[in-house]
Amino acid sequence: MIHLHRLQRLPTWVALIISAALLLLGWHLLAELGGYDSFILPGPLPVYQQFMIVAGDGRLLHHTMVTVSQVIPGLFIGCLIAMPLGYLLAKSPLAERLISPYLIASQAIPVIAVAPLLTIWIQSTYWSRVWVAVLVVFFPILINIITGLRSVPAELYELMHSLQATPWQVFRQLEIPAALPIILAGLKVGATLSVIGALVGEFVQPKSQGLGFLLISARYQFKTDLVFVVLFALAAVALTMYGLVVLLERRLLRWQTVSR
Amino acid sequence: MKVLHRVGGALLLIVLAMGLTACGSNNGSDPTADDLLPILLPVGFVPDPQFAPLYVAIERGYYREEGLAVELDYGFETDGVALVGAGQRPFAVVSGEQVVMARAQGIPVVYILQWFQEFPVAVVSKTRAGINTPQDLAGRRVGIPGFFGASYVGYAGLLFANGLTLEDAINEEIGFTQVEALRTDRVEAAVVYISNEPLQLRALGEELNVLRVADYTRLIANGVVTSEEIIANDPDLAARFVRATLRGIADTLADPRAAFEISKNFVEALGDDRYQVLEASLPLWEADILGLTDPGGWAVTETTLLQIGFIDQPLDNINTAYTNRFVEQNQPNR
Repeated sequence: MIHLHRLQRLPTWVALIISAALLLLGWHLLAELGGYDSFILPGPLPVYQQFMIVAGDGRLLHHTMVTVSQVIPGLFIGCLIAMPLGYLLAKSPLAERLISPYLIASQAIPVIAVAPLLTIWIQSTYWSRVWVAVLVVFFPILINIITGLRSVPAELYELMHSLQATPWQVFRQLEIPAALPIILAGLKVGATLSVIGALVGEFVQPKSQGLGFLLISARYQFKTDLVFVVLFALAAVALTMYGLVVLLERRLLRWQTVSR
Repeated sequence: MKVLHRVGGALLLIVLAMGLTACGSNNGSDPTADDLLPILLPVGFVPDPQFAPLYVAIERGYYREEGLAVELDYGFETDGVALVGAGQRPFAVVSGEQVVMARAQGIPVVYILQWFQEFPVAVVSKTRAGINTPQDLAGRRVGIPGFFGASYVGYAGLLFANGLTLEDAINEEIGFTQVEALRTDRVEAAVVYISNEPLQLRALGEELNVLRVADYTRLIANGVVTSEEIIANDPDLAARFVRATLRGIADTLADPRAAFEISKNFVEALGDDRYQVLEASLPLWEADILGLTDPGGWAVTETTLLQIGFIDQPLDNINTAYTNRFVEQNQPNR
Protein backbone atom coordinates (compact mmCIF):
# COMPACT_ATOMS: atom_id res chain seq x y z
CA MET A 1 0.00 0.00 0.00
CA ILE A 2 2.89 2.28 0.85
CA HIS A 3 4.45 1.59 -2.53
CA LEU A 4 1.16 2.32 -4.28
CA HIS A 5 0.96 5.58 -2.38
CA ARG A 6 4.47 6.47 -3.56
CA LEU A 7 3.56 5.61 -7.13
CA GLN A 8 0.55 7.89 -6.98
CA ARG A 9 2.83 10.75 -5.96
CA LEU A 10 5.10 10.31 -8.99
CA PRO A 11 5.22 13.21 -11.43
CA THR A 12 2.96 12.67 -14.46
CA TRP A 13 5.86 12.42 -16.90
CA VAL A 14 7.55 9.71 -14.84
CA ALA A 15 4.28 7.76 -14.62
CA LEU A 16 3.86 8.09 -18.38
CA ILE A 17 7.37 6.76 -19.03
CA ILE A 18 6.79 3.81 -16.70
CA SER A 19 3.44 2.94 -18.27
CA ALA A 20 4.93 3.24 -21.80
CA ALA A 21 7.85 0.98 -20.82
CA LEU A 22 5.45 -1.59 -19.37
CA LEU A 23 3.34 -1.49 -22.51
CA LEU A 24 6.39 -1.99 -24.73
CA LEU A 25 7.58 -4.86 -22.57
CA GLY A 26 4.16 -6.52 -22.71
CA TRP A 27 4.00 -6.05 -26.47
CA HIS A 28 7.51 -7.49 -26.90
CA LEU A 29 6.72 -10.51 -24.73
CA LEU A 30 3.44 -11.13 -26.56
CA ALA A 31 5.15 -10.99 -29.96
CA GLU A 32 8.09 -13.17 -28.86
CA LEU A 33 6.43 -15.71 -26.61
CA GLY A 34 3.21 -15.86 -28.63
CA GLY A 35 5.16 -17.26 -31.56
CA TYR A 36 3.48 -14.90 -34.02
CA ASP A 37 4.96 -14.38 -37.48
CA SER A 38 6.09 -10.81 -38.02
CA PHE A 39 3.38 -10.21 -40.62
CA ILE A 40 0.78 -11.01 -37.96
CA LEU A 41 2.28 -9.22 -34.97
CA PRO A 42 5.68 -7.56 -35.30
CA GLY A 43 7.46 -6.73 -32.06
CA PRO A 44 8.41 -3.18 -30.99
CA LEU A 45 11.93 -3.50 -32.41
CA PRO A 46 11.02 -4.09 -36.09
CA VAL A 47 8.36 -1.39 -35.80
CA TYR A 48 10.98 0.99 -34.44
CA GLN A 49 13.36 0.05 -37.27
CA GLN A 50 10.62 0.71 -39.83
CA PHE A 51 9.87 4.00 -38.09
CA MET A 52 13.51 5.04 -38.42
CA ILE A 53 13.42 4.25 -42.15
CA VAL A 54 10.27 6.24 -42.98
CA ALA A 55 11.13 9.02 -40.55
CA GLY A 56 14.67 9.20 -41.88
CA ASP A 57 13.73 9.54 -45.54
CA GLY A 58 11.03 12.11 -44.71
CA ARG A 59 8.10 9.99 -45.91
CA LEU A 60 6.40 9.80 -42.53
CA LEU A 61 6.50 13.55 -41.97
CA HIS A 62 5.31 14.22 -45.51
CA HIS A 63 2.30 11.88 -45.27
CA THR A 64 1.51 13.10 -41.76
CA MET A 65 1.47 16.73 -42.89
CA VAL A 66 -0.86 15.85 -45.76
CA THR A 67 -3.31 14.26 -43.32
CA VAL A 68 -2.98 17.17 -40.89
CA SER A 69 -3.71 19.57 -43.77
CA GLN A 70 -7.11 17.85 -44.07
CA VAL A 71 -7.75 17.39 -40.36
CA ILE A 72 -7.46 21.08 -39.44
CA PRO A 73 -9.79 22.48 -42.14
CA GLY A 74 -12.19 19.62 -41.43
CA LEU A 75 -12.35 20.54 -37.77
CA PHE A 76 -12.52 24.26 -38.52
CA ILE A 77 -15.34 23.97 -41.07
CA GLY A 78 -17.17 21.51 -38.81
CA CYS A 79 -17.07 24.11 -36.02
CA LEU A 80 -18.12 26.92 -38.38
CA ILE A 81 -21.23 25.01 -39.39
CA ALA A 82 -22.03 23.55 -35.97
CA MET A 83 -21.80 26.83 -34.06
CA PRO A 84 -24.56 28.92 -35.71
CA LEU A 85 -26.72 25.85 -36.26
CA GLY A 86 -26.24 24.77 -32.65
CA TYR A 87 -27.20 28.26 -31.46
CA LEU A 88 -30.30 28.24 -33.66
CA LEU A 89 -31.38 24.82 -32.42
CA ALA A 90 -30.71 25.71 -28.79
CA LYS A 91 -32.71 28.94 -28.97
CA SER A 92 -35.53 28.08 -31.34
CA PRO A 93 -37.88 25.20 -30.45
CA LEU A 94 -39.42 25.48 -33.93
CA ALA A 95 -36.02 25.09 -35.61
CA GLU A 96 -35.25 22.17 -33.37
CA ARG A 97 -38.52 20.46 -34.25
CA LEU A 98 -37.90 21.02 -37.97
CA ILE A 99 -34.21 20.22 -38.24
CA SER A 100 -33.30 17.84 -35.40
CA PRO A 101 -34.99 14.71 -36.81
CA TYR A 102 -32.92 15.00 -39.98
CA LEU A 103 -29.71 15.62 -38.08
CA ILE A 104 -30.29 12.63 -35.83
CA ALA A 105 -31.27 10.44 -38.78
CA SER A 106 -28.10 11.52 -40.59
CA GLN A 107 -26.05 10.06 -37.75
CA ALA A 108 -27.46 6.62 -38.50
CA ILE A 109 -25.74 6.72 -41.89
CA PRO A 110 -22.15 5.41 -41.72
CA VAL A 111 -19.63 7.92 -43.04
CA ILE A 112 -17.90 5.13 -44.93
CA ALA A 113 -21.09 4.79 -47.01
CA VAL A 114 -21.32 8.51 -47.77
CA ALA A 115 -17.62 9.13 -48.42
CA PRO A 116 -17.57 7.50 -51.89
CA LEU A 117 -20.49 9.69 -52.92
CA LEU A 118 -18.65 12.80 -51.74
CA THR A 119 -15.73 11.90 -53.97
CA ILE A 120 -18.11 11.85 -56.92
CA TRP A 121 -20.00 15.03 -55.98
CA ILE A 122 -16.87 17.00 -55.10
CA GLN A 123 -14.38 16.77 -57.92
CA SER A 124 -11.43 17.78 -55.73
CA THR A 125 -9.87 14.85 -53.89
CA TYR A 126 -8.56 17.19 -51.20
CA TRP A 127 -11.92 18.78 -50.48
CA SER A 128 -13.81 15.51 -50.57
CA ARG A 129 -11.49 14.25 -47.82
CA VAL A 130 -11.93 17.46 -45.84
CA TRP A 131 -15.70 17.14 -46.07
CA VAL A 132 -15.59 13.60 -44.78
CA ALA A 133 -13.76 14.99 -41.74
CA VAL A 134 -16.39 17.74 -41.45
CA LEU A 135 -19.18 15.14 -41.41
CA VAL A 136 -17.47 13.22 -38.62
CA VAL A 137 -16.70 16.18 -36.33
CA PHE A 138 -19.86 18.18 -36.92
CA PHE A 139 -22.36 16.27 -34.81
CA PRO A 140 -20.54 15.94 -31.45
CA ILE A 141 -19.65 19.62 -31.58
CA LEU A 142 -23.22 20.57 -32.44
CA ILE A 143 -24.65 18.52 -29.59
CA ASN A 144 -22.26 20.08 -27.08
CA ILE A 145 -23.08 23.59 -28.28
CA ILE A 146 -26.79 22.92 -27.76
CA THR A 147 -26.16 21.33 -24.37
CA GLY A 148 -23.83 24.16 -23.34
CA LEU A 149 -26.26 26.91 -24.26
CA ARG A 150 -29.15 25.15 -22.54
CA SER A 151 -27.14 24.71 -19.39
CA VAL A 152 -27.00 28.46 -18.76
CA PRO A 153 -29.05 29.03 -15.55
CA ALA A 154 -32.35 30.85 -16.09
CA GLU A 155 -31.61 33.15 -13.13
CA LEU A 156 -28.62 34.56 -15.00
CA TYR A 157 -30.84 35.40 -17.98
CA GLU A 158 -33.23 37.14 -15.60
CA LEU A 159 -30.32 39.05 -14.10
CA MET A 160 -29.16 40.18 -17.54
CA HIS A 161 -32.70 41.27 -18.45
CA SER A 162 -33.02 43.19 -15.20
CA LEU A 163 -29.82 44.97 -16.16
CA GLN A 164 -31.44 45.73 -19.54
CA ALA A 165 -28.69 43.95 -21.43
CA THR A 166 -28.99 43.85 -25.21
CA PRO A 167 -29.22 40.44 -26.99
CA TRP A 168 -25.61 40.88 -28.11
CA GLN A 169 -24.52 41.53 -24.50
CA VAL A 170 -26.42 38.46 -23.32
CA PHE A 171 -24.74 36.39 -26.01
CA ARG A 172 -21.25 37.74 -25.42
CA GLN A 173 -21.19 38.18 -21.67
CA LEU A 174 -23.44 35.38 -20.51
CA GLU A 175 -24.06 32.63 -23.04
CA ILE A 176 -20.57 32.25 -24.47
CA PRO A 177 -18.72 32.18 -21.13
CA ALA A 178 -21.32 29.95 -19.51
CA ALA A 179 -21.49 27.45 -22.38
CA LEU A 180 -17.79 27.46 -23.24
CA PRO A 181 -16.65 24.57 -20.97
CA ILE A 182 -19.18 22.21 -22.55
CA ILE A 183 -18.50 23.51 -26.07
CA LEU A 184 -14.78 22.94 -25.58
CA ALA A 185 -15.46 19.42 -24.33
CA GLY A 186 -17.25 18.81 -27.64
CA LEU A 187 -14.32 20.32 -29.49
CA LYS A 188 -11.98 17.84 -27.80
CA VAL A 189 -14.08 14.96 -29.08
CA GLY A 190 -14.29 16.61 -32.50
CA ALA A 191 -10.53 17.15 -32.64
CA THR A 192 -9.78 13.46 -32.24
CA LEU A 193 -12.65 12.40 -34.51
CA SER A 194 -11.39 14.71 -37.26
CA VAL A 195 -8.34 12.46 -37.63
CA ILE A 196 -10.63 9.47 -38.16
CA GLY A 197 -12.65 11.51 -40.65
CA ALA A 198 -9.62 12.46 -42.71
CA LEU A 199 -8.43 8.86 -42.65
CA VAL A 200 -11.79 7.56 -43.88
CA GLY A 201 -11.54 10.12 -46.70
CA GLU A 202 -8.07 8.88 -47.57
CA PHE A 203 -9.25 5.28 -47.51
CA VAL A 204 -12.03 6.00 -49.95
CA GLN A 205 -9.92 8.25 -52.17
CA PRO A 206 -6.39 7.01 -51.53
CA LYS A 207 -4.42 9.58 -53.48
CA SER A 208 -0.72 8.96 -53.23
CA GLN A 209 -0.33 11.10 -50.14
CA GLY A 210 -1.49 10.99 -46.55
CA LEU A 211 -1.32 8.49 -43.72
CA GLY A 212 -4.36 6.66 -45.12
CA PHE A 213 -2.50 6.04 -48.38
CA LEU A 214 0.60 4.93 -46.47
CA LEU A 215 -1.56 2.53 -44.45
CA ILE A 216 -3.20 1.03 -47.54
CA SER A 217 0.15 0.84 -49.28
CA ALA A 218 1.72 -0.92 -46.30
CA ARG A 219 -1.13 -3.42 -46.14
CA TYR A 220 -0.90 -4.02 -49.89
CA GLN A 221 2.81 -4.83 -49.52
CA PHE A 222 2.19 -6.87 -46.35
CA LYS A 223 4.47 -4.60 -44.32
CA THR A 224 2.73 -4.97 -40.97
CA ASP A 225 5.53 -3.14 -39.18
CA LEU A 226 4.81 -0.10 -41.37
CA VAL A 227 1.10 -0.43 -40.59
CA PHE A 228 2.00 -0.11 -36.91
CA VAL A 229 4.14 2.96 -37.60
CA VAL A 230 1.20 4.62 -39.36
CA LEU A 231 -1.16 3.74 -36.52
CA PHE A 232 1.21 5.35 -34.03
CA ALA A 233 1.51 8.42 -36.26
CA LEU A 234 -2.28 8.70 -36.36
CA ALA A 235 -2.44 8.42 -32.59
CA ALA A 236 0.21 11.13 -32.32
CA VAL A 237 -1.79 13.44 -34.61
CA ALA A 238 -4.96 12.82 -32.58
CA LEU A 239 -3.12 13.49 -29.31
CA THR A 240 -1.64 16.69 -30.72
CA MET A 241 -5.05 17.90 -31.85
CA TYR A 242 -6.47 17.08 -28.43
CA GLY A 243 -3.57 18.85 -26.73
CA LEU A 244 -4.14 21.98 -28.82
CA VAL A 245 -7.76 22.11 -27.73
CA VAL A 246 -6.66 21.66 -24.09
CA LEU A 247 -4.29 24.62 -24.51
CA LEU A 248 -7.10 26.65 -26.01
CA GLU A 249 -9.33 25.61 -23.14
CA ARG A 250 -6.78 26.73 -20.55
CA ARG A 251 -6.48 30.06 -22.27
CA LEU A 252 -10.20 30.68 -22.79
CA LEU A 253 -11.24 29.41 -19.35
CA ARG A 254 -8.45 31.10 -17.41
CA TRP A 255 -11.06 33.32 -15.81
CA GLN A 256 -12.54 30.26 -14.08
CA THR A 257 -9.25 29.60 -12.26
CA VAL A 258 -8.79 33.29 -11.45
CA SER A 259 -12.33 33.66 -10.07
CA ARG A 260 -11.79 30.67 -7.74
CA MET B 1 -50.25 -24.27 -8.80
CA LYS B 2 -52.44 -24.38 -11.90
CA VAL B 3 -50.46 -21.51 -13.34
CA LEU B 4 -47.22 -23.37 -12.66
CA HIS B 5 -48.57 -26.46 -14.36
CA ARG B 6 -49.55 -24.43 -17.39
CA VAL B 7 -46.15 -22.81 -17.59
CA GLY B 8 -44.49 -26.19 -17.18
CA GLY B 9 -46.68 -27.64 -19.92
CA ALA B 10 -45.87 -24.77 -22.24
CA LEU B 11 -42.15 -25.20 -21.61
CA LEU B 12 -42.40 -28.91 -22.33
CA LEU B 13 -44.14 -28.16 -25.63
CA ILE B 14 -41.44 -25.65 -26.59
CA VAL B 15 -38.69 -28.15 -25.78
CA LEU B 16 -40.47 -30.85 -27.79
CA ALA B 17 -40.97 -28.46 -30.71
CA MET B 18 -37.29 -27.53 -30.65
CA GLY B 19 -36.32 -31.17 -30.55
CA LEU B 20 -38.58 -31.99 -33.50
CA THR B 21 -37.22 -29.01 -35.46
CA ALA B 22 -33.68 -30.16 -34.81
CA CYS B 23 -34.54 -33.69 -35.90
CA GLY B 24 -36.31 -32.35 -38.96
CA SER B 25 -33.35 -30.27 -40.01
CA ASN B 26 -31.06 -33.27 -39.73
CA ASN B 27 -33.29 -35.55 -41.71
CA GLY B 28 -34.41 -33.08 -44.33
CA SER B 29 -31.07 -31.83 -45.64
CA ASP B 30 -28.10 -33.54 -47.27
CA PRO B 31 -27.19 -36.38 -44.89
CA THR B 32 -23.52 -35.86 -45.65
CA ALA B 33 -23.59 -32.12 -44.87
CA ASP B 34 -22.01 -32.66 -41.46
CA ASP B 35 -19.11 -34.50 -43.07
CA LEU B 36 -18.22 -31.62 -45.38
CA LEU B 37 -15.23 -29.45 -44.58
CA PRO B 38 -16.39 -25.83 -44.44
CA ILE B 39 -14.21 -23.51 -46.49
CA LEU B 40 -14.61 -19.74 -46.50
CA LEU B 41 -12.90 -18.60 -49.69
CA PRO B 42 -11.69 -14.96 -49.84
CA VAL B 43 -12.08 -13.69 -53.41
CA GLY B 44 -11.17 -10.01 -52.95
CA PHE B 45 -14.14 -8.44 -54.69
CA VAL B 46 -17.90 -7.99 -54.48
CA PRO B 47 -20.31 -10.63 -55.83
CA ASP B 48 -19.86 -10.53 -59.61
CA PRO B 49 -20.47 -12.71 -62.66
CA GLN B 50 -16.71 -13.00 -63.10
CA PHE B 51 -16.86 -15.49 -60.21
CA ALA B 52 -19.21 -17.68 -62.25
CA PRO B 53 -16.84 -20.71 -62.21
CA LEU B 54 -16.94 -20.75 -58.42
CA TYR B 55 -20.71 -20.35 -58.39
CA VAL B 56 -21.00 -23.22 -60.86
CA ALA B 57 -18.71 -25.44 -58.78
CA ILE B 58 -20.81 -24.70 -55.70
CA GLU B 59 -24.21 -25.02 -57.38
CA ARG B 60 -23.42 -28.21 -59.30
CA GLY B 61 -21.96 -29.83 -56.21
CA TYR B 62 -18.39 -30.21 -57.44
CA TYR B 63 -16.98 -29.01 -54.13
CA ARG B 64 -19.47 -31.17 -52.25
CA GLU B 65 -18.32 -34.23 -54.19
CA GLU B 66 -14.83 -33.45 -52.90
CA GLY B 67 -16.09 -33.21 -49.33
CA LEU B 68 -15.96 -29.42 -49.24
CA ALA B 69 -18.61 -26.84 -48.34
CA VAL B 70 -17.32 -23.69 -50.02
CA GLU B 71 -18.67 -20.22 -49.23
CA LEU B 72 -17.25 -17.06 -50.78
CA ASP B 73 -15.81 -14.25 -48.64
CA TYR B 74 -15.93 -10.93 -50.49
CA GLY B 75 -13.36 -9.08 -48.34
CA PHE B 76 -10.21 -7.25 -49.38
CA GLU B 77 -7.71 -9.17 -51.50
CA THR B 78 -4.81 -8.43 -49.14
CA ASP B 79 -6.77 -9.92 -46.25
CA GLY B 80 -7.10 -13.16 -48.20
CA VAL B 81 -3.36 -13.60 -48.55
CA ALA B 82 -2.71 -12.73 -44.91
CA LEU B 83 -5.46 -15.09 -43.72
CA VAL B 84 -4.06 -17.98 -45.75
CA GLY B 85 -0.54 -17.16 -44.56
CA ALA B 86 -1.74 -17.12 -40.96
CA GLY B 87 -3.44 -20.49 -41.41
CA GLN B 88 -6.92 -19.09 -40.87
CA ARG B 89 -8.16 -19.85 -44.39
CA PRO B 90 -6.97 -22.77 -46.51
CA PHE B 91 -7.37 -21.00 -49.86
CA ALA B 92 -7.89 -17.54 -51.37
CA VAL B 93 -8.25 -16.06 -54.83
CA VAL B 94 -5.60 -13.36 -55.30
CA SER B 95 -3.53 -11.72 -57.99
CA GLY B 96 -0.04 -13.10 -58.72
CA GLU B 97 1.85 -10.01 -57.65
CA GLN B 98 0.28 -10.34 -54.20
CA VAL B 99 1.95 -13.73 -53.82
CA VAL B 100 5.39 -12.33 -54.65
CA MET B 101 4.97 -9.41 -52.24
CA ALA B 102 3.64 -11.70 -49.52
CA ARG B 103 6.58 -14.09 -49.86
CA ALA B 104 8.96 -11.13 -49.78
CA GLN B 105 7.58 -10.44 -46.30
CA GLY B 106 7.92 -14.06 -45.22
CA ILE B 107 4.27 -15.04 -45.66
CA PRO B 108 4.30 -18.74 -46.62
CA VAL B 109 1.71 -18.80 -49.43
CA VAL B 110 1.93 -20.77 -52.66
CA TYR B 111 0.00 -20.19 -55.89
CA ILE B 112 -1.58 -23.44 -57.06
CA LEU B 113 -4.02 -22.55 -59.85
CA GLN B 114 -3.78 -19.76 -62.40
CA TRP B 115 -7.43 -19.01 -63.07
CA PHE B 116 -6.82 -15.89 -65.19
CA GLN B 117 -4.31 -16.84 -67.85
CA GLU B 118 -4.00 -13.21 -68.95
CA PHE B 119 -3.52 -10.15 -66.78
CA PRO B 120 -6.99 -8.52 -66.90
CA VAL B 121 -5.78 -4.90 -66.96
CA ALA B 122 -5.66 -2.54 -69.94
CA VAL B 123 -5.07 1.11 -70.78
CA VAL B 124 -8.07 2.52 -72.58
CA SER B 125 -8.40 5.78 -74.49
CA LYS B 126 -10.76 7.43 -76.94
CA THR B 127 -9.79 6.57 -80.50
CA ARG B 128 -9.38 10.23 -81.41
CA ALA B 129 -6.66 10.61 -78.74
CA GLY B 130 -4.41 8.64 -81.07
CA ILE B 131 -2.94 6.38 -78.41
CA ASN B 132 -2.36 3.35 -80.60
CA THR B 133 0.74 1.88 -78.98
CA PRO B 134 2.19 1.97 -75.45
CA GLN B 135 4.85 4.42 -76.70
CA ASP B 136 2.04 6.89 -77.41
CA LEU B 137 1.42 7.11 -73.65
CA ALA B 138 4.59 9.19 -73.22
CA GLY B 139 3.64 12.69 -72.13
CA ARG B 140 -0.06 11.82 -71.90
CA ARG B 141 -2.35 12.27 -68.90
CA VAL B 142 -3.14 8.75 -67.72
CA GLY B 143 -5.73 8.14 -65.01
CA ILE B 144 -4.92 5.33 -62.60
CA PRO B 145 -7.09 4.12 -59.70
CA GLY B 146 -4.18 4.51 -57.27
CA PHE B 147 -0.46 3.99 -56.80
CA PHE B 148 -0.99 0.42 -55.61
CA GLY B 149 -3.03 -2.61 -56.59
CA ALA B 150 -3.05 -4.94 -59.58
CA SER B 151 -4.07 -2.18 -61.99
CA TYR B 152 -1.02 -0.10 -61.04
CA VAL B 153 1.31 -3.10 -61.33
CA GLY B 154 -0.21 -3.98 -64.70
CA TYR B 155 0.16 -0.42 -65.97
CA ALA B 156 3.77 -0.26 -64.77
CA GLY B 157 4.47 -3.62 -66.40
CA LEU B 158 3.05 -2.36 -69.69
CA LEU B 159 5.29 0.72 -69.61
CA PHE B 160 8.42 -1.18 -68.56
CA ALA B 161 7.90 -3.81 -71.28
CA ASN B 162 7.91 -1.05 -73.87
CA GLY B 163 11.01 0.79 -72.70
CA LEU B 164 9.09 3.47 -70.81
CA THR B 165 9.16 4.44 -67.16
CA LEU B 166 6.35 5.58 -64.88
CA GLU B 167 7.69 9.13 -65.16
CA ASP B 168 7.26 9.17 -68.95
CA ALA B 169 3.49 9.59 -68.60
CA ILE B 170 1.62 12.14 -66.49
CA ASN B 171 -0.08 9.85 -63.98
CA GLU B 172 -3.20 11.14 -62.25
CA GLU B 173 -4.99 9.30 -59.49
CA ILE B 174 -8.67 9.17 -60.28
CA GLY B 175 -9.88 6.34 -58.06
CA PHE B 176 -12.43 4.10 -59.74
CA THR B 177 -13.91 6.91 -61.81
CA GLN B 178 -12.27 5.91 -65.10
CA VAL B 179 -15.49 6.13 -67.12
CA GLU B 180 -16.32 9.68 -65.99
CA ALA B 181 -12.70 10.84 -66.22
CA LEU B 182 -12.36 9.63 -69.81
CA ARG B 183 -15.73 10.88 -70.96
CA THR B 184 -15.08 14.35 -69.57
CA ASP B 185 -11.51 14.36 -70.99
CA ARG B 186 -10.06 14.85 -67.52
CA VAL B 187 -7.51 12.26 -68.61
CA GLU B 188 -6.46 11.08 -72.07
CA ALA B 189 -6.19 7.44 -71.09
CA ALA B 190 -7.18 5.36 -68.08
CA VAL B 191 -6.06 2.10 -66.52
CA VAL B 192 -9.04 -0.25 -66.37
CA TYR B 193 -10.12 -3.85 -66.01
CA ILE B 194 -10.72 -5.37 -69.44
CA SER B 195 -14.05 -6.91 -68.54
CA ASN B 196 -15.49 -3.80 -66.95
CA GLU B 197 -14.92 -0.17 -67.99
CA PRO B 198 -14.37 -0.73 -71.75
CA LEU B 199 -17.80 -2.37 -71.88
CA GLN B 200 -19.38 0.56 -70.07
CA LEU B 201 -17.66 3.11 -72.29
CA ARG B 202 -18.66 1.34 -75.50
CA ALA B 203 -22.23 1.12 -74.21
CA LEU B 204 -22.11 4.91 -73.86
CA GLY B 205 -21.12 5.20 -77.52
CA GLU B 206 -17.40 5.85 -77.14
CA GLU B 207 -14.96 4.54 -79.74
CA LEU B 208 -11.95 3.16 -77.92
CA ASN B 209 -8.37 2.05 -78.25
CA VAL B 210 -7.55 -0.67 -75.76
CA LEU B 211 -3.93 -1.54 -74.93
CA ARG B 212 -4.09 -4.90 -73.19
CA VAL B 213 -1.29 -5.46 -70.69
CA ALA B 214 -1.29 -9.17 -71.55
CA ASP B 215 -0.35 -8.38 -75.14
CA TYR B 216 2.95 -6.86 -74.00
CA THR B 217 4.01 -8.56 -70.78
CA ARG B 218 3.40 -11.83 -68.92
CA LEU B 219 2.39 -10.77 -65.44
CA ILE B 220 0.71 -13.42 -63.31
CA ALA B 221 -2.96 -12.66 -62.78
CA ASN B 222 -5.64 -13.97 -60.42
CA GLY B 223 -5.52 -17.50 -59.16
CA VAL B 224 -5.78 -19.67 -56.09
CA VAL B 225 -3.25 -19.64 -53.26
CA THR B 226 -2.83 -21.97 -50.36
CA SER B 227 -0.28 -22.24 -47.57
CA GLU B 228 2.99 -24.17 -47.52
CA GLU B 229 1.60 -25.97 -44.49
CA ILE B 230 -1.35 -27.41 -46.46
CA ILE B 231 0.88 -28.44 -49.35
CA ALA B 232 3.21 -30.22 -46.92
CA ASN B 233 0.64 -31.81 -44.61
CA ASP B 234 -2.63 -32.03 -46.50
CA PRO B 235 -1.91 -32.02 -50.24
CA ASP B 236 -5.09 -34.03 -50.83
CA LEU B 237 -7.16 -31.06 -49.64
CA ALA B 238 -5.43 -28.81 -52.18
CA ALA B 239 -5.96 -31.42 -54.91
CA ARG B 240 -9.67 -31.72 -54.14
CA PHE B 241 -10.16 -27.97 -54.13
CA VAL B 242 -8.27 -27.54 -57.40
CA ARG B 243 -10.15 -30.41 -59.06
CA ALA B 244 -13.57 -28.92 -58.21
CA THR B 245 -12.53 -25.38 -59.17
CA LEU B 246 -11.18 -26.52 -62.53
CA ARG B 247 -14.47 -28.27 -63.22
CA GLY B 248 -16.27 -24.99 -62.52
CA ILE B 249 -13.98 -23.14 -64.93
CA ALA B 250 -14.37 -25.80 -67.62
CA ASP B 251 -18.17 -25.80 -67.31
CA THR B 252 -18.29 -22.00 -67.52
CA LEU B 253 -16.13 -21.95 -70.63
CA ALA B 254 -18.28 -24.68 -72.21
CA ASP B 255 -21.63 -23.10 -71.41
CA PRO B 256 -21.31 -19.50 -70.22
CA ARG B 257 -25.05 -18.85 -70.52
CA ALA B 258 -25.82 -21.61 -68.04
CA ALA B 259 -23.05 -20.33 -65.75
CA PHE B 260 -24.53 -16.86 -65.89
CA GLU B 261 -27.96 -18.18 -64.93
CA ILE B 262 -26.36 -19.95 -61.94
CA SER B 263 -24.59 -16.70 -61.01
CA LYS B 264 -27.98 -15.08 -60.54
CA ASN B 265 -28.40 -17.20 -57.42
CA PHE B 266 -25.27 -15.60 -55.93
CA VAL B 267 -25.24 -12.03 -57.25
CA GLU B 268 -28.10 -9.81 -56.08
CA ALA B 269 -30.20 -8.27 -58.87
CA LEU B 270 -27.92 -9.55 -61.61
CA GLY B 271 -29.39 -8.24 -64.86
CA ASP B 272 -28.85 -9.83 -68.26
CA ASP B 273 -26.91 -6.74 -69.35
CA ARG B 274 -24.08 -8.00 -67.13
CA TYR B 275 -23.65 -11.13 -69.23
CA GLN B 276 -21.10 -9.26 -71.30
CA VAL B 277 -18.85 -9.01 -68.21
CA LEU B 278 -18.73 -12.78 -68.08
CA GLU B 279 -18.37 -13.01 -71.85
CA ALA B 280 -15.39 -10.62 -71.77
CA SER B 281 -13.77 -12.67 -69.00
CA LEU B 282 -13.89 -16.01 -70.84
CA PRO B 283 -10.87 -15.41 -73.13
CA LEU B 284 -8.83 -14.50 -70.05
CA TRP B 285 -9.39 -17.96 -68.56
CA GLU B 286 -9.02 -20.14 -71.66
CA ALA B 287 -5.95 -22.40 -71.84
CA ASP B 288 -4.98 -25.78 -73.26
CA ILE B 289 -4.26 -26.92 -69.72
CA LEU B 290 -6.65 -25.04 -67.46
CA GLY B 291 -5.09 -23.35 -64.46
CA LEU B 292 -1.48 -23.96 -65.51
CA THR B 293 0.82 -21.18 -64.37
CA ASP B 294 3.70 -19.86 -66.44
CA PRO B 295 7.15 -19.93 -64.73
CA GLY B 296 8.37 -17.15 -67.03
CA GLY B 297 5.49 -14.97 -65.90
CA TRP B 298 6.62 -15.22 -62.29
CA ALA B 299 10.06 -13.89 -63.15
CA VAL B 300 8.46 -11.00 -65.07
CA THR B 301 6.14 -10.24 -62.14
CA GLU B 302 9.06 -10.23 -59.71
CA THR B 303 11.13 -7.94 -61.94
CA THR B 304 8.19 -5.54 -62.35
CA LEU B 305 7.67 -5.32 -58.59
CA LEU B 306 11.39 -4.67 -58.09
CA GLN B 307 11.27 -1.87 -60.68
CA ILE B 308 8.27 -0.25 -59.01
CA GLY B 309 9.89 -0.64 -55.60
CA PHE B 310 7.15 -2.82 -54.10
CA ILE B 311 9.77 -5.38 -53.13
CA ASP B 312 13.27 -4.44 -52.05
CA GLN B 313 15.15 -7.47 -53.36
CA PRO B 314 14.47 -10.60 -55.41
CA LEU B 315 13.00 -13.59 -53.60
CA ASP B 316 15.44 -16.34 -52.63
CA ASN B 317 13.74 -18.59 -55.16
CA ILE B 318 10.79 -17.31 -57.15
CA ASN B 319 9.94 -20.88 -58.17
CA THR B 320 8.79 -21.64 -54.62
CA ALA B 321 5.96 -19.12 -55.08
CA TYR B 322 3.94 -21.47 -57.29
CA THR B 323 3.40 -25.08 -58.24
CA ASN B 324 1.67 -26.73 -61.18
CA ARG B 325 1.45 -30.18 -59.63
CA PHE B 326 -2.18 -29.89 -58.59
CA VAL B 327 -3.55 -28.58 -61.89
CA GLU B 328 -1.52 -31.07 -63.88
CA GLN B 329 -2.88 -33.99 -61.86
CA ASN B 330 -6.49 -32.83 -61.76
CA GLN B 331 -7.51 -31.64 -65.22
CA PRO B 332 -11.23 -31.91 -65.93
CA ASN B 333 -12.63 -33.76 -68.93
CA ARG B 334 -13.40 -31.24 -71.68
